[in-house]
Amino acid sequence: MSLYSSCTSAASSAGSSVSSTTKTSEIDCLLAGAGYRVRSSDLRHVAQRLERLDAAMVNSPAEVSQLASDVVHYNPSDIASWVDSLLSEFNQTASLPSDLPELPELVVGPVLNQTVLAEDAWTDHDAPQHQQLNNQFPVMTAMEEDSGIRLVHVLLTCAESVQRGDLAFAGSLIEDMQSLLARVNTSCGIGKVAGYFIDALSLRIFTPQGVGFGGGVGLDAAYENEVLYHHFYEACPYLKFAHFTANQAILEAFDGHDCVHVVDFNLMHGLQWPALIQALALRPGGPPALRLTGIGPPSPDGRDSLREVGLRLSELARSVNVLFSFRGVAASRLEDVKPWMLQVRPKEAVAVNSIMQLHRLLGSEPSRNSPMEMVLGWIRNLNPKIMTVIEQEANHNQPGFLDRFTEALYYYSTMFDSLEACTLQPEKALAEIYIQREICNVVCCEGSARVERHEPLAKWRVRLGQAGFRPLHLGSNAFKQASMLLTLFSAEGYCVEEKEGCLTLGWHSRPLIAASAWEALALPDANSPATAPGIFVNPHSNPPVNSL
Amino acid sequence: MVVPLNTWVLISNFKLAYNLLRRPDGTFNRHLAEFLDRKVPANATPVDGVFSFDVFINRSTSLLSRIYRPAHGEEPQINIADLEKPVTAEVVPVIIFFHGGSFAHSSANSTIYDTLCRRLVGICKAVVVSVNYRRAPENRYPCAYDDGWAALNWVNSRTWLQSKDSKVHIYLAGDSSGGNIVHHVALQAVESNIEVLGNILLNPMFGGEERTESEKRFDGKYFVTIRDRDWYWRAFLPEGEDRDHPACNPFGPKGKILEGIKFPKSLVVVAGLDLIQDWQLDYVKGLEKAGQKVKLLYLEKATIGFYLLPNNNHFYTVMDEISAFVDSNC
Repeated sequence: MSLYSSCTSAASSAGSSVSSTTKTSEIDCLLAGAGYRVRSSDLRHVAQRLERLDAAMVNSPAEVSQLASDVVHYNPSDIASWVDSLLSEFNQTASLPSDLPELPELVVGPVLNQTVLAEDAWTDHDAPQHQQLNNQFPVMTAMEEDSGIRLVHVLLTCAESVQRGDLAFAGSLIEDMQSLLARVNTSCGIGKVAGYFIDALSLRIFTPQGVGFGGGVGLDAAYENEVLYHHFYEACPYLKFAHFTANQAILEAFDGHDCVHVVDFNLMHGLQWPALIQALALRPGGPPALRLTGIGPPSPDGRDSLREVGLRLSELARSVNVLFSFRGVAASRLEDVKPWMLQVRPKEAVAVNSIMQLHRLLGSEPSRNSPMEMVLGWIRNLNPKIMTVIEQEANHNQPGFLDRFTEALYYYSTMFDSLEACTLQPEKALAEIYIQREICNVVCCEGSARVERHEPLAKWRVRLGQAGFRPLHLGSNAFKQASMLLTLFSAEGYCVEEKEGCLTLGWHSRPLIAASAWEALALPDANSPATAPGIFVNPHSNPPVNSL
Repeated sequence: MVVPLNTWVLISNFKLAYNLLRRPDGTFNRHLAEFLDRKVPANATPVDGVFSFDVFINRSTSLLSRIYRPAHGEEPQINIADLEKPVTAEVVPVIIFFHGGSFAHSSANSTIYDTLCRRLVGICKAVVVSVNYRRAPENRYPCAYDDGWAALNWVNSRTWLQSKDSKVHIYLAGDSSGGNIVHHVALQAVESNIEVLGNILLNPMFGGEERTESEKRFDGKYFVTIRDRDWYWRAFLPEGEDRDHPACNPFGPKGKILEGIKFPKSLVVVAGLDLIQDWQLDYVKGLEKAGQKVKLLYLEKATIGFYLLPNNNHFYTVMDEISAFVDSNC
């Protein structure tokens, strides 16, 4: 049963696109407006199954508490599959239309003119979902101070002049902003981050183009970046969330496999892997043989930092009796990696792990044989059991400078706000520098120097769908564990949200980082028609493995 | 007795999900609740003439509200500095909205409530402030009321929300537990001399120790059971208190006297298939007996949640009434 119209359409989480394949059934648009996806033609059937589930719950109250505590829930927007998965817990046969109860008298079918309403409201709902790509505002404190408001005005005016090419005028505004900055509360919100944006604009205006900032140019920069990354990891939960969520999904994907191979697109200090190694060690039935291939930039002055990380992980693996081997692949850019370097073996289950790396492949213009297409192509050819993708949930790759600047201002102001809660030093200070470098790259750089080309989840869904991947849903267990992880942090503002099988971590109501998992659709052979992207079945037919 | 199919699916889905969340020991599966709840972010880009943004009412208690404003002109995008631009019309009603969920469920950013608040902006030409109050059982009485009170004070002190007469024209609105909060915040407002121009209570959540006729008649018939109502009161009320506590039963044996005080006029919407309707009707009678101005809108064939989807006549009736109610003063 196909549950999505072609996910190759842009933007929408309410399926607003018209599918390129012939689809006769549309999503009920009123339920879509409430956050749910049910095909209009399915409504009656779903209603009957809800009735059936209700009866089952009434008859076995003991099972209800088990449903709540033990069962993993997936993608609640899809009511049909949610109800069916719960019904299957009651050991009832999945579909026996003749057994389905009659709906209570009080229900009527769709209101007659609803289809007409649907057409109009369809486009209405198209708009809001599309707009979600842009302008997700940070939570603000009331900006009572005139200086704060004026500062933002000037920042945006300055960015707009830069976009117009009027660098002289833009330059004159820098001084104004610096004096305004002196009068603003710089301890939180916009005030805090404004200083960094003023600096970034300065650099862009007064320094010749083409100089890379925060792009990791040069070997020393790579080492420095590792240090900053580590402090960012400690100061706030974004990277831990990424690791945690990805590991959970990888663990589940590796269930039943004896030879597994993880390809990490950005090894750094390998902070993600001890937890996975330990979880695999504790797997019922024993651990698999684990290979880890870590990709990272070449090290300066003859050090082989990749190998050093590999050695440390080997020691850990040995101490918990997990057969482990490591391979480092040094590459300055992801597009320089060739699949043969990974030496994937035929019978092993492969997991590809990309934490904030894929966006670096986005060139300014889409073109044939773009790095993105090439890399996604070879990933797919590896036929991985899972690809975990964690990306910043932001639209920092818009062509217009002002749009990009504005979005970044809000995004990073929210991120800085969340950092306020951290009291660890020097972690916090260095984490701020880490973020500042990202800001610099987004604001100052162009062309190949601009690597921080973040795009929102909705765009990644489209891109990955088109490249032949389908989503593997992250469920309520991953959600719960991520939420519990967050309670370790004193700050109360972090929140995990579920969105159609993906999880986001944000500060208050603004998602900042999105985690998703994918598997490669079977490669079409010469004789069969191409499989349409977006068709999937519930992949989690096996009970989930014990969590980390 | 008619409920459109999609409404039925929506409310049944809630009912079943909520059954999973309430534990017999009185605790609540908050993680699963947050996982299942459908949410939507604020959006400063106007959609159908409305844009929204989130603010802190109180940073130290993390009390957030989502503000909805009508967009004027053809701005494709609202500048961050303009989010709190002063309102420009002669009179701008500001509706402080408290979402429902029986004190335990939902949030200001729940999709169903985001949709409802956007509609209120349109029909009332108002600014809507949707309060993300603390929920039970983790936060019992009086937390939700305290948060509502904080929101009222915050709204009342925003210069950018003042109409031309330099006053903020405040209305309180809410459904289910939100309706209950409206009453109690209004009471506090009166006692502190803050003027509230009107209360809008949609299927407000009230109760009492007694089992009324409607409770017995409709128990389990239209999505709601006496048992679940009891559970939510036990989760919200202070431990050891019964349902005649004034929070639950404002005109009961422990209720406050409302005679002679300048309580706001009220619009109370009661659904004829709601099992707690007798309590809601008692509330209306209580207001009348105390000499307070109240309009009852009784919708005989409506179930709970009828106002969540715009696919039935009751929905449009109620929206028209709300529009007239908020307009009549201005």
